[in-house]
Amino acid sequence: MRAERTVALALSASIAASIGLVIVYVLGGEAQLEGVLLGLSLGGLGVGVTAWAIKLLPARTETEEREELASSDAEEAAAEEDIGGPIEAMSRRKALARLLVGAGGTLLGALAIPALSLGPRPGDSLFRTLWTPGARVVDRDGAPLRPTDLVLESVTTVFPEGEAGSPDSQTLLIKVDPDLLNLPDGRAGWAPDGCVGYSKICTHAGCPVGLYRAESHQLLCPCHQSTFDVLDGAVPSFGPADRPLPQLPLAVDDEGYLIAQGDFPEPVGPGFWNVTTGGGKLMQRHRTVHH
Amino acid sequence: MAASTKRLLLASALFTCIAFALYLPAGAHAGDVPLQPAPEGRELFLTSCASCHGDDGRGTDLGPSLEESGAAAADFQLRTGRMPLGDPDGPTVRKPPAFDDVEIEALVAYVASLGDGPEIPEVSAVAGDVSEGQLLFIDNCAACHGATGNGGAVGPDALAPSLYVATDVQIAEAAVTGPGEMPRFTFETQELNDIVAFIEDLRTESAPGGADIGGIGPVPEGLVGWGVGVVGLTVICFIVGSHRRDRAMNGGRQGDGES
Amino acid sequence: MLRWIDKRLGVAHWARKGLRKIFPDHWSFLLGEIALFCFVILLLTGIFLTLFYRPDAQPVIYNGPYEPLRGQEVSAAYESVMRLSFEVRAGLVMRQIHHWAALVFVGSIVVHMLRVFFTGAFRKPRELNWLVGIGLLLLAMGMGFTGYSLPDDLLSGTGLRIAYSVLLSVPFVGPHLAFLIFGGEFPTEGIISRLFVMHVMLLPALIIGLITAHLLILWRQKHTQFKGPGRTERNVVGKPFWPQQLMKSVGLLLLTGAVLAFMGGLIQINPVWAYGPFDPATVSAPSQPDWYIGWLEGALRLFPPFDLTILGVTVPSPFIPGIILPGVAFGVMAAWPFIEARLTGDSAEHHLLDDPRDTPFRLAVGVAGTLFFVLLTVAGGNDVLAIMFNLSVNQITNVLRLAVFLVPALGGLIAYRIATELRDSRINPLGPDEGVSLKRNSSGGFG
Repeated sequence: MRAERTVALALSASIAASIGLVIVYVLGGEAQLEGVLLGLSLGGLGVGVTAWAIKLLPARTETEEREELASSDAEEAAAEEDIGGPIEAMSRRKALARLLVGAGGTLLGALAIPALSLGPRPGDSLFRTLWTPGARVVDRDGAPLRPTDLVLESVTTVFPEGEAGSPDSQTLLIKVDPDLLNLPDGRAGWAPDGCVGYSKICTHAGCPVGLYRAESHQLLCPCHQSTFDVLDGAVPSFGPADRPLPQLPLAVDDEGYLIAQGDFPEPVGPGFWNVTTGGGKLMQRHRTVHH
Repeated sequence: MAASTKRLLLASALFTCIAFALYLPAGAHAGDVPLQPAPEGRELFLTSCASCHGDDGRGTDLGPSLEESGAAAADFQLRTGRMPLGDPDGPTVRKPPAFDDVEIEALVAYVASLGDGPEIPEVSAVAGDVSEGQLLFIDNCAACHGATGNGGAVGPDALAPSLYVATDVQIAEAAVTGPGEMPRFTFETQELNDIVAFIEDLRTESAPGGADIGGIGPVPEGLVGWGVGVVGLTVICFIVGSHRRDRAMNGGRQGDGES
Repeated sequence: MLRWIDKRLGVAHWARKGLRKIFPDHWSFLLGEIALFCFVILLLTGIFLTLFYRPDAQPVIYNGPYEPLRGQEVSAAYESVMRLSFEVRAGLVMRQIHHWAALVFVGSIVVHMLRVFFTGAFRKPRELNWLVGIGLLLLAMGMGFTGYSLPDDLLSGTGLRIAYSVLLSVPFVGPHLAFLIFGGEFPTEGIISRLFVMHVMLLPALIIGLITAHLLILWRQKHTQFKGPGRTERNVVGKPFWPQQLMKSVGLLLLTGAVLAFMGGLIQINPVWAYGPFDPATVSAPSQPDWYIGWLEGALRLFPPFDLTILGVTVPSPFIPGIILPGVAFGVMAAWPFIEARLTGDSAEHHLLDDPRDTPFRLAVGVAGTLFFVLLTVAGGNDVLAIMFNLSVNQITNVLRLAVFLVPALGGLIAYRIATELRDSRINPLGPDEGVSLKRNSSGGFG
């Protein structure tokens, strides 16, 4: 019978594939061969079993009655009585019952409290980075930079000296023609020789803003396509980001190296509920400086 | 010597000189002789480039100044066929070059003479370290060109192309000159070597997991997961299960014969 | 052997009863089984992977055979996945089968869910099982997200950053929540081992529990069936569990494994060596999550730049697409059996399935909902669309911002009309052509 032959063939192929798989493994293994042989081994067995189930087993269609799903009214009433009765009786002792519920609830609360050990309180860590006044600007290898080291329309990821790689301090250093800059009020002195610094952390959802369109002077975040205009203070011009990238106030020290004048004036990265009002004294000082 | 013979000799010599001058073998190959602003370069420039870049290469409304472009930019743009650009507002994409090697060298020499832009970088993939190159690539290039160098969209109207077609020199030239929307990078020669060594490795690397399906991550993976996995298994369900909803009831008898 | 067991457990009677249980036989009832079998394969391959993976964020130097990363500092977790992929025999194929199985697992849950939805199988008494199912879908997505974040590579790490930012956006408690779950300000050393615990212990335990509940409820209530001759609300017509249905299911399990094995060996997935280890100051493009998170990603991309600030309290733009949208969407999905019962006034017990043509309203809602999720998923890949079709990613985004509302509405309307037409005219486009019956009347005309 044809079905029998199919089953026999499939199961035999499976045996061969399984043996082949063991051989391939012993000989060193190779992902493609392993996958194909495993697939044939499983598939052969699968076809064999399925074909057997469909073609060779008696194909009986049968009917089964559905019993009433719910119990009888009497049974349900009895259950309510048996289970609910004692509970009702207990709750009649009102004062004790309230205490019981109260004790259970407070216990659960107390047991849940260790969840707070999972992490530290945010404190003001969202409001500051590792940039300090006078900190030298270094590249990823820790080398400080002078404006003359940079070529026009270059973009470099920089960090405070000693903290190369620091996640929340990551900053984009871009050199543009100073005549093109149109920074917000009070920031004229933040971009020596056309070297502007913006936080690299996207203010939408925190991805590094890794793309720079040199001709259009736009920074672009690859995650959700937020676009920021470098010349006018990294104000967003497209995409879901609403806040500009915070600008790092830059200057040049006595030896000509780029330094930061201080930390970013706003919290870096994506927003949170008190991003504009929190941070206490840290932010107060900055907020009176710019805008 | 007879007068006729003398005339013949003179004519032959003249002819030979002219023939020789006309059929001189193609001039300097890359790196052969110092680039001099060859007159052919300027002529080619005037016919093919000046309409946008100005007769003096200082730019017009239609095209930027080429003062700071240097040999590197000119060589890149011309060899990848991006320039000359038919439509000044059109996209600059790789096309077959409009000029042959000689003409390109001439133009490059001319543009280089306009100012002091970067020279053609000398890179060698064999001298580069693949791992160092990977670090540099992932930090500086991957955001636009993709971790696997397959390219990507950079905003609404720019494309960071795939790096599998470019030569090592072209990659270095692009990094140094920042064509179009691409920024400029100040890589040292060793860093450029490392980067091209890494890209060379990308090109020659085989996918150990099987078919590459694009190398751009979860989008093609999701499509294949659905198209092959979910659809395939649904088809298997269809084959294995019954399809007819209105089968007659057999009340327990055998021989239904349904598939 | 059976007697040996029965002498000790006395189960012969119950075993006979259970194995004789009748299950209806339609092919679309097998889709849920596919999901179950994907899970089985995930468990088996997952156990293998767990024996090699190190949930450890400590930096180590990679010294394996993959040249582009040799000598670089990577996390121990990443290094263990690299070792698994390049140095452990059968490691790569196991990893790839595991990951393909994850993609197909969630996909088959969705297909199964759509079948249940469009046939009305969620109606009383099965609302509870529908809720269990929604829970399973959420857990499956959670398993996937925690799982693909374990290698600590650049792509999944970027996704973790986004998840952290969405948590930050919750009003008042956002920063606390994010710091608690991650163990501090992003990036933290502890998140990888926490994800590991979720992925290997907590979530699988919940899934196994819910799957057990799902199957027990199904067993107790008996499976639904399509309408047809001899089928009523009071019976089940089909084949017995043993041997017919069970054998078929075993066969299907093997075939599911076969498909996933072929995919795992022949098609590369999640090449973490290409992305490199996670670095918080680096990113690659395109950056997408696995497909089942794509709708959330798309919502984040499409949502306009509205950071709402009222009285000094900011609700950053990721909050609505990242928290509110999934909350509402899954809330509506979970509550649907009750919503529909209220809207249709139908609170009767149903064991016979609906023909979707007969329920045009539900069909329209389902089509609209599916289109909504599909479009959001498409939006999650807007930059890939841009390069594939040479279009402006900005334009695609703007078009999708409208389309994500218009297309589902339109699709629902069209589905509604088609269903009512088909219902009213009794045409079955997928069935045999029954022809038209003409009767001649006494005056010689037709009618």
